[in-house]
Amino acid sequence: MSFLTPAFLIGVSALTIPVLIHLIQRERKRVVVFPSLMFLRRIPYQSVRRRSIRHWLLLCLRAAALLLLVAAFARPFFPQGALAARATGGTRELVVLLDQSASMGYGDRWQQARDAAHKAIDSLTGDDRATLVLFSRNAEENVRATGDRLRLNQAVDAAKVTSRSTRYGPALKLAQSILSASSQKRKEVVVVSDFQKTGWTGSEEVHLPEGTVLTPVSVAGTSTANVSIPSVAFARTSFSGQDRLTVTAGIVNRGAAAVNGLTTSLEIDGHQIETKPVAVPGNGSTSVSFAAFTLADSYVRGTVRAGTDPMPQDNTFHFVLTPGRPVSVLVVTTREASGDRDDPSLYLAKALSIGTTPAFQVDVVSAVRMSPAMLDKRAVVVLNDTPFPPALAGGALKKFVEQGGGVLVALGEHSTWPANDAALLPGTLTGTVDRPDGRGGALGFLDYSHPVFEVFKAPHGGGFSSARVLRYRALTATATSRVLARFDDGAAAATEQKTGLGRVIAWNTSMDDSWSDLPTKPVYLPLVHQLMRYLGRYEEAPAWRTVGQVLDLTSGSILVGSRRDRVALTPAGKRVTLPTGGGPEFLELDEQGFYELRSTGTAEARPPAVAVDIDPAESDLSVMDQGEFTAAVTGHAGPQATSTAVQEPETPQDLERRQALWWYLLFGGILLLATETILSNRISRV
Amino acid sequence: MARLAEGGAIPGARFVDPTVLARIGKLDLLARTVVDGFINGLHRAPFFGASIDFAEHRGYVPGDDIRRVDWRLYARTDKYYVKQYEADTNTNFSILLDVSKSMGFSSGGPSKLEYACYLAACLAYMAHRQRDRVGIITFDDDIVDYVPVSAKHFDVLLHTLDRAKPQRAGSLVGPVNKMAEHFKRRSVLALISDFYEEPDVILEAVKPLSFLGNDLMVFHVLDRGEIEFNYDDASSFEDLESGEQIPIVPEALSVQYRALMQEHISALTTKFSEHRMDYTMLNTSLPLDHALFTYLAMRERMMRVR
Repeated sequence: MSFLTPAFLIGVSALTIPVLIHLIQRERKRVVVFPSLMFLRRIPYQSVRRRSIRHWLLLCLRAAALLLLVAAFARPFFPQGALAARATGGTRELVVLLDQSASMGYGDRWQQARDAAHKAIDSLTGDDRATLVLFSRNAEENVRATGDRLRLNQAVDAAKVTSRSTRYGPALKLAQSILSASSQKRKEVVVVSDFQKTGWTGSEEVHLPEGTVLTPVSVAGTSTANVSIPSVAFARTSFSGQDRLTVTAGIVNRGAAAVNGLTTSLEIDGHQIETKPVAVPGNGSTSVSFAAFTLADSYVRGTVRAGTDPMPQDNTFHFVLTPGRPVSVLVVTTREASGDRDDPSLYLAKALSIGTTPAFQVDVVSAVRMSPAMLDKRAVVVLNDTPFPPALAGGALKKFVEQGGGVLVALGEHSTWPANDAALLPGTLTGTVDRPDGRGGALGFLDYSHPVFEVFKAPHGGGFSSARVLRYRALTATATSRVLARFDDGAAAATEQKTGLGRVIAWNTSMDDSWSDLPTKPVYLPLVHQLMRYLGRYEEAPAWRTVGQVLDLTSGSILVGSRRDRVALTPAGKRVTLPTGGGPEFLELDEQGFYELRSTGTAEARPPAVAVDIDPAESDLSVMDQGEFTAAVTGHAGPQATSTAVQEPETPQDLERRQALWWYLLFGGILLLATETILSNRISRV
Repeated sequence: MARLAEGGAIPGARFVDPTVLARIGKLDLLARTVVDGFINGLHRAPFFGASIDFAEHRGYVPGDDIRRVDWRLYARTDKYYVKQYEADTNTNFSILLDVSKSMGFSSGGPSKLEYACYLAACLAYMAHRQRDRVGIITFDDDIVDYVPVSAKHFDVLLHTLDRAKPQRAGSLVGPVNKMAEHFKRRSVLALISDFYEEPDVILEAVKPLSFLGNDLMVFHVLDRGEIEFNYDDASSFEDLESGEQIPIVPEALSVQYRALMQEHISALTTKFSEHRMDYTMLNTSLPLDHALFTYLAMRERMMRVR
């Protein structure tokens, strides 16, 4: 404590006056010898002793009053706080970034992190404020800019490790926005994390305000040994009309020591069906395949487990499997399928008969035998070099397309298109174009951004250029159509037209080898499959999703009852009412395990389920260089960097004015004097 | 007070004030009860013997000296009567002097012990003059000095008084019990003390002294300061005997103190009177001769009443 006007403290010496008088009196006090105190003792002793104590009390009251008055005039203040404020630049705006990603569940990291957060919060003094930000993949402002340490500590205690992955960018950007808006003189960020290398790309473009002190508090220990299952692969075969699946799990050991005898197991629908010991080399990986099993039902839940270690979350991998649904394809041609070499659907049918993901159910019918009933439950109709089927005229095909059906029109010499359904075709058919210049034409342009050709995007992908096209049907694309491929002479080779929910693609040359040798090229089969998948709107339901992903409830693979009465049961057992109405329908998947999607009021034996696993990157516990991290975020190296902002030091007058202790002292002194007056009056009356 | 033979050959003689003795000499110190003795004097003998003072007749019994038969009465009554006379004799006179530390107190003038010594010397001198045997016992919480009664011990008595110093704390019960066992013959006892004990305790202690028909005179010697408690300043009062100190504001306590002291004196007066003991309170600020004169006058008056 210091004083603004310390000269007044000389007045404290006045305190000695009553004390001295008292001492002098004590020295002069006579000791009277008396024959016997027999009678004096009989007189109530208190009347003697109490009077003495009262006098002492008065003396103390007077001395205390005098002391307070002198102290009040000396104008006290606390220089320690002033010095601290001056040294540190004033009050602080502290942002505590607490990592709650899945990797923080490794060993006792989370407890260490909470202790570090408590420590940072407890360092708040005076008018300091702190914001608690819990972050993982995203950042959440848990407690906003408060000096209430109790509230902050309670929020830290209430926080839990999540299954989400680590990203530092959002948390730092949130801290940046908080500090930018703050008027506090000192800005500080404390990052409590295990500083996983995978959470920082270095391109986050985060720059904390000038002068901000970033203090990384790492809870990552020296041990980063961790066994995890990053993914699972399925080999699907068909046997007796049923799918048989072989599950192969990849196992990664991120520790230096090899792990032998690791127990891996496969559980299907909660029943353990196989257990295998596995040896995984240090800093290596291996895979384990389990015996094939028959996939009879839809939404079969599977789990692969691989031992236990300090981070058990990534030792478990969940997936959901459903038997494949074949894509039904109706090939309409000029004549019935014969299977001989002249069959125009030979190549097409052979290509579609191969493959299980998906499997194609192909029916070939001549145009004359075509009936609208054949469109029922069809995904794709292929008009393979055939006149427009009379049965489909009058809007049947249009209706089929509008309801989501796909049509591939392989244009050949027999192809015709009625004028009243002209809107379905991506363009207007004109004549036949020959490419008689020896080698023929070739496909010169492919729109790789289109889902059909996207898979061929890689260099030399597919080998389309090797296919020769000797003849094609010219098509003048309409304004609403999209040209997906062109021949090397610039003419459209594939054109798409969307009508309603469905799609129509015109392939301008034949799908057999009469006009082109494409069916003899390796790319033919994947091209046909891609066309069928696209036109048939085939979407393979992923066996698992990653924590943090959003489930699109309108997706074809997730069809759960009506729009109004759906609920999701989270892995933790919480019921979430799924969004209804016309807006987007999404469900955020932020827990590891199985999400179950139910329609209320129905008792489904196997409700749709979604398996959610933690991000495999979370299993990589490699630690990044904190110095580089600090330098990248603050622009200067080292967590100890002090504030470079020049703060205006507070003068003693400012501090004293802000503290205003003298008012309390003066009031206390006056109160004591009043008490002393009352007391002395009472004593004098006795 | 003028002192006799100060620095003279006889220690203690200085206590005998001629003025006092001149006034006391006109009075007869008479024992309240008859004390047996051998020397004829002013005291009445407890036994009938050769004396000129007729007491009474009694019937003759075989063995009586036939010379004591009153023949004139035989002539009138034709019965043998023997004449009996009251024989005058001398007696033992013992002074029991408290020399405890509290007796050394003085608020001005002579201390209580000095005053008590004057008193003792005067009484002893008077007794000695009428040929009584004198002795003295000084005590505090035990017997300090013991001078047996004897006609020749007056000088020793005075010497003992001269040597008496207040040195230890006092107690009445212990020493008085010892003294009571010591007195085998009827005596006149003068107990001089400041009596700082409870009246009941004092009385119980003193009672044994009055056994065997002893004539007990009690002199309660107090200083003026003790009686009036006229102190002004707040002081620590120290007990002379125990050394204990307590802070005292006299102005707040004096009234209560005086009341307690008077109550104490009254209690002693009542209780000694009830047990036929002479009690006299002596204030050391008052002249000794006046006090003695008052006492002896009162004692003679009481003897006549009895």
